[in-house]
Amino acid sequence: MDIEQNQAELIDNFVKQASAQKGTALGSVILEATSHPSLFAFSEILALPTVAELEGTENSVYLKVLQLFAHGTWSDYKSNCSSLPQLVPDQVLKLKQLTVLTLAETNKVLPYDELMMELDVTNVRELEDFLINECMYAGIVRGKLDQLRRCFEIQFAAGRDLRPGQLGSMIQTLSNWLGTSDNLLVSIQEEIKWADTMSELDKKHRKEVEDRVEEVKKSVSVKLQTVSRLKLSSEGSKISTLNLVE
Amino acid sequence: MASSSSRGLTFKLHPLVIVNISDHYTRVKSQLNLPPSLTSTSSAATSNNNNNNSNGGENNQQKPPRVYGCVIGVQRGRTVEIFNSFELIYDPSTRSLDRSFLEKKQELYKKVFPHFYVLGWYSTGSDAQESDMHFHKALMDINESPLYVLLNPAINPAQKDLPVTIYESELHVIDGVPQLIFVRSSYTIETVEAERISVDHVAHLKPSGGSAATQLAAQLTGIHSAIKMLNSRIRVVHQYLVGMQKGDIPCESSLLRQVSSLLRRLPAIESEKFQDDLLMEYNDTLLITYLAMFTNCSSTMNELVDKFNTAYDRHSRRGGRTAFI
Repeated sequence: MDIEQNQAELIDNFVKQASAQKGTALGSVILEATSHPSLFAFSEILALPTVAELEGTENSVYLKVLQLFAHGTWSDYKSNCSSLPQLVPDQVLKLKQLTVLTLAETNKVLPYDELMMELDVTNVRELEDFLINECMYAGIVRGKLDQLRRCFEIQFAAGRDLRPGQLGSMIQTLSNWLGTSDNLLVSIQEEIKWADTMSELDKKHRKEVEDRVEEVKKSVSVKLQTVSRLKLSSEGSKISTLNLVE
Repeated sequence: MASSSSRGLTFKLHPLVIVNISDHYTRVKSQLNLPPSLTSTSSAATSNNNNNNSNGGENNQQKPPRVYGCVIGVQRGRTVEIFNSFELIYDPSTRSLDRSFLEKKQELYKKVFPHFYVLGWYSTGSDAQESDMHFHKALMDINESPLYVLLNPAINPAQKDLPVTIYESELHVIDGVPQLIFVRSSYTIETVEAERISVDHVAHLKPSGGSAATQLAAQLTGIHSAIKMLNSRIRVVHQYLVGMQKGDIPCESSLLRQVSSLLRRLPAIESEKFQDDLLMEYNDTLLITYLAMFTNCSSTMNELVDKFNTAYDRHSRRGGRTAFI
């Protein structure tokens, strides 16, 4: 996945910066990280001990912002506006992109109305521009825009940071997938066997028919020999070319 | 014959040449065996696998006939690429090559393929022989060092590579007399897109390996192995995640993100529109198969009725039997 590769360097960078600093300085690092246009993964930074220390201090807002960016959406931000600092426009943009990713988690087909509501966008033109420029060109989402049915079909969406409970559900999905493919393998195996047996039967049947034809030909030719010359008219030759009449 | 060639020429052979040579050989062989094996000649004429021998030819054969022809292609620097071939009339007993035919053919091919030159000649047999040198020398006035492509028509099921060898001629001094001898060279097979498609098509007609007797089984086997591979990969990811959950493996977020994005693509095809399209196409296929069966049955029926009518003719001299319809 190319997004992950693009991000890997940035993540390393920020991790180094964040682990080197503490307190308020950390806040500026977080600010920079959340406004960076190509960075969509924050769980590594969240996992750092220096960041976790921010909990409870007066700089805990930065921690909350980071958590919001890791797991939350734009509507979360709007509902908790009071406890969170004002976001710069870059951060707003990023948060909206991450919102699209979250929405893509649940449905593959997102109706325009829902998108417009979640992203606070009033007209379709703006929504489509946002989707095309910010999401598809950034490479985090790939899909098709269906204007007639007013929906966005998503074929691929980059992953967001995992919430702790999501690992279990992912394992469940994987085991379901494994089960389905195992069943499929078994049924294909059966189909192959069926095809083989049917071709065997067909060959046997063909052989039996040919044997019978040979027998009949022999018996008819014996009859011909016993019939007198006069009777060897055209009919006689016609009878000998019959296949299955007898 | 020496066993190595060190002149540094690389040879590229196109499958078309191999198919042409085998076709020529098969035709000549089957045309010699006409009466006792009519069915086998028709089956031999349709065989167009690369290294095939006509199966019915064993009846009254003392020695399989040798066919001769010319190979043409392009030589660019040290690379010789053999594109095509055509047949020649050559009588090995009198050692006479039909020059006028060769020239006419050359002219015709020059018009269509202006870049191709006569690069050498081909023949069939199991090994290069001394008598081949005469033909070789005869061609030397067209191309100063012709190639000799030899196809071995015997089918050897244990053999893995193509029974085609390319010989060059080298001037060696043997017993004080400079002589031309044949030297084996290696070659590679080069295909054009059209050749690849046809070779692929022929290869899939008869599945190799005894496990799959029919084409359907072969195709299903292909799908089966593909899904099996997918299955094993998913299993690996699954075990990885389980290990991560248990804590045996340290959590790596970027990997988890990739897995989650992958899982989000499932179910890959599940929408109403897909179901509709699938059912429609399924029904169409069933309908067409049904229709084909119908046509088959009605034509067989028709034949049967004709035969009945012929046998039990109303105006038969024997009388007493009525027509069927």
